[in-house]
Amino acid sequence: MTGPLAGLRVLELADETGQFCGKLLGDLGADVVKIEPPGGEPSRHVGPFLDDIPDPDRSLSFWYYNTSKRGITLDLETADGQAVFRRLAETADVVLETFRPGFLASQGLDYASLRDSNHELVWCSLTPFGQTGPWRDYLSADLLHMAAGGEMASCGYDGSDVPIAPGGGNAWHMGCHFAYIAIMAALVYRTVSGHGQYIDASIHEACALTTESAVANYIYRGEVLRRQTGRHHAAAPTPRTQFRARDGNYVTALISGGLNPRNVRNLAALMDQYGMAGDLLDPKYQDPVVIAANASYIIDHLLAGFIAALPAEEVYHAGQERGFTWGAVRTPEALLDDAHLHDRGFWKQVEHPELGRSFVYPGEAAIYNGSPWAISRRAPLIGEHNVEILQGELGLPTGEIV
Amino acid sequence: MSQPRALDNIRVVDFSWVRAGPWATRWLGALGAEIIKIEWPETERGRLPSSTTPRHLETNLNTSGNFNDTNVNKKSLSLNVRTAKGLEIVKRLIAMSDIVIENFSSRVLQNWGLGYDELQRIKPDIVYVSMSGYGHTGRNHHYTTFGPVAQSVAGLTYLSGLPDQPPAGWGWSYMDDTGGMYGAMCALTGLYHRNMTGKGQHIDQSQMVSSVPLNGPALLDFTVNGRGSRRPGFPPGNRAHWPGTALVNNYRGPTVAPHNAYRTHPGGYNDWCVIVCHTDDEWQRLVQVMGSPPWANDSEFATMTARLQHQDELDANIETWTATLGKYEVTERCQTAGVRALPVQSAEDRVEHDPQLRHRNVYLPIEHPALGTYKVQNAPFKLSETPAYNHRSSPLIGQHNREIVEDLLGYSHDTLRTGFDDGTFWPVKRARFAYQEEMLQ
Repeated sequence: MTGPLAGLRVLELADETGQFCGKLLGDLGADVVKIEPPGGEPSRHVGPFLDDIPDPDRSLSFWYYNTSKRGITLDLETADGQAVFRRLAETADVVLETFRPGFLASQGLDYASLRDSNHELVWCSLTPFGQTGPWRDYLSADLLHMAAGGEMASCGYDGSDVPIAPGGGNAWHMGCHFAYIAIMAALVYRTVSGHGQYIDASIHEACALTTESAVANYIYRGEVLRRQTGRHHAAAPTPRTQFRARDGNYVTALISGGLNPRNVRNLAALMDQYGMAGDLLDPKYQDPVVIAANASYIIDHLLAGFIAALPAEEVYHAGQERGFTWGAVRTPEALLDDAHLHDRGFWKQVEHPELGRSFVYPGEAAIYNGSPWAISRRAPLIGEHNVEILQGELGLPTGEIV
Repeated sequence: MSQPRALDNIRVVDFSWVRAGPWATRWLGALGAEIIKIEWPETERGRLPSSTTPRHLETNLNTSGNFNDTNVNKKSLSLNVRTAKGLEIVKRLIAMSDIVIENFSSRVLQNWGLGYDELQRIKPDIVYVSMSGYGHTGRNHHYTTFGPVAQSVAGLTYLSGLPDQPPAGWGWSYMDDTGGMYGAMCALTGLYHRNMTGKGQHIDQSQMVSSVPLNGPALLDFTVNGRGSRRPGFPPGNRAHWPGTALVNNYRGPTVAPHNAYRTHPGGYNDWCVIVCHTDDEWQRLVQVMGSPPWANDSEFATMTARLQHQDELDANIETWTATLGKYEVTERCQTAGVRALPVQSAEDRVEHDPQLRHRNVYLPIEHPALGTYKVQNAPFKLSETPAYNHRSSPLIGQHNREIVEDLLGYSHDTLRTGFDDGTFWPVKRARFAYQEEMLQ
């Protein structure tokens, strides 16, 4: 079986902002040709690097975001490079590009210039702010998008007004998820109409759309939400949900539905498994009035004490088995030991033949039972497929290959 | 509008609830698919409880503002699928549909008699997207999640915060939003594959598992270099690197300084601006924007390495400048000079003050029969031939029962009325809304 996008040819001209979208397409079976400037994309210089030795073919960030792609180098500012790109675009299904607005037009290589030679082409320009508007030419960075998109306004600590940006790279993830949706919608439409189209996608807008209910809280209630440690932003303070376990790890232990008699009963039963129910088994705690009067005691004393006495993983699994929607706060490396992920065949061995080694990569977000996801190859070395594609597929003489 | 839409003539049977699933189908709806949301008021989660009902309205099943934003572009069929008659009706609907999507726990649809085998029997090329917490396979498939738990278990929470402090985590359900993205991505990918091959399939998406690939560089740093995330100076908050710790990459692009959030005038809760300089040139431009203050000439800020080492002093100095200006003014002055800067924006800022989002029509009003007219969030992409747009407000619960049951499925009006009397379309003892009484006339 092949991936759901088998047979689809994608040309990716993307920096760190859009390379993840190419990976999403490539891992699902598309033939993604990454077109880099001579010397390679600047994103090859982003660390960490293999063995901490900086080198454009050793960037782990580049490795991760460029799986299942082939790579060629092309100078789009020369006549030869432009001619090659035009020929590639004639037979491509998708062009994904992240140049600053106006650059490709200045080279005569934008959608308007190329669509006549390929009416079925789906062209996605993914840029920080889109092709129009007062911020169109603004510079960006992951942190900048987390600020303006609203993410930082929602993340931080109790009792502090410092906004904190959540983990790096997610601005690009947000933009690429929406870009992928737009591209696939255009491709579905093409299966019916036979026509391609142009997509103007904005990372800033994607980030601004990824803050759950924050916008609705403002629009319908005029509320500005406050940041809280390890839990949801809120208009007024809410009880803590993040507790330190015996091993120093944290547990997210939100009581879904709140402290009602049923939840208190289950909580008492769970803690009683470990002889730590305290007085919570007392029938008086089945009275909502008594529960409400002792909410802080139950959460901050009994529950916090229970979690503090056990390893985080124990709390997580024991809680889930009792029906509590709880989780251990894991480091990424702890996931390598997660049995559930192993059951799903999540981790993949990816060969790096030039190193004579293979490495473990994260796998698929979803299992496509009828057309499997797969990493077809590791990220391309600089210009690795120049000969294969330019000579082999386009039939260019060797002298024309940069 | 006469323009075609990308998913014209695609019908989606949408069992989804709460946030992640509805967020997925909202986008399929904006792209033109007919979304039929199957709901049951007794087990509803998403409409209630509501903390986003406008204060002047009664809180009921039809007045949640967040539900409205999350469920635009859908029709609602109130139906008890756990009755023989309800099941028969929904099967007739599935036979006429392209996609079935749900975000229940792993065994719910199967227990209703609507597992993939049965769906495929009813509609051989159906695209079935299940969006469960842990997926339909694996030993923990029965575990439950919402955003914060998926984020914790999958490593996202740990990566957000300051060194030597508890995780700050994500102040919202990032994985309800992003889980929704993956649900929509799976549906569209499955649909494309079906159109190309004629074959449907079951796509088993998991909120927890979908979170893991978002930690890619951190995971490879471990699997390749053996470097774990439990290390001094990590996570470095808004910085790319925490001074005084090993100079390693912390997965937010290049390791540079300045790279932080700075207080701006007048010092309110969300008066902050972030500034990042990727190169020495960008730093020199910032120095000029700040009016070339004497401190900026100190040797401890002369090179990238020096600035990384002296970030505490660097950040304090920069803040003496930013604190004199509003965050939009800092942004404009920096960006005009080619320096990376943007304001920290609250939801109010985005809706009211962000000139770019306004220019791009991200928030446009839409009229809802019970709420009135409010702004709703629009697509962050513009498709030239098949624009995505919000064409209808969220549905009232059961608003489209008559249209779906009679016009689409071809049942008689009598069937509709009987179904209300016998508890198929609405709980017998539950009061009906006026529009329901009306459709039964």
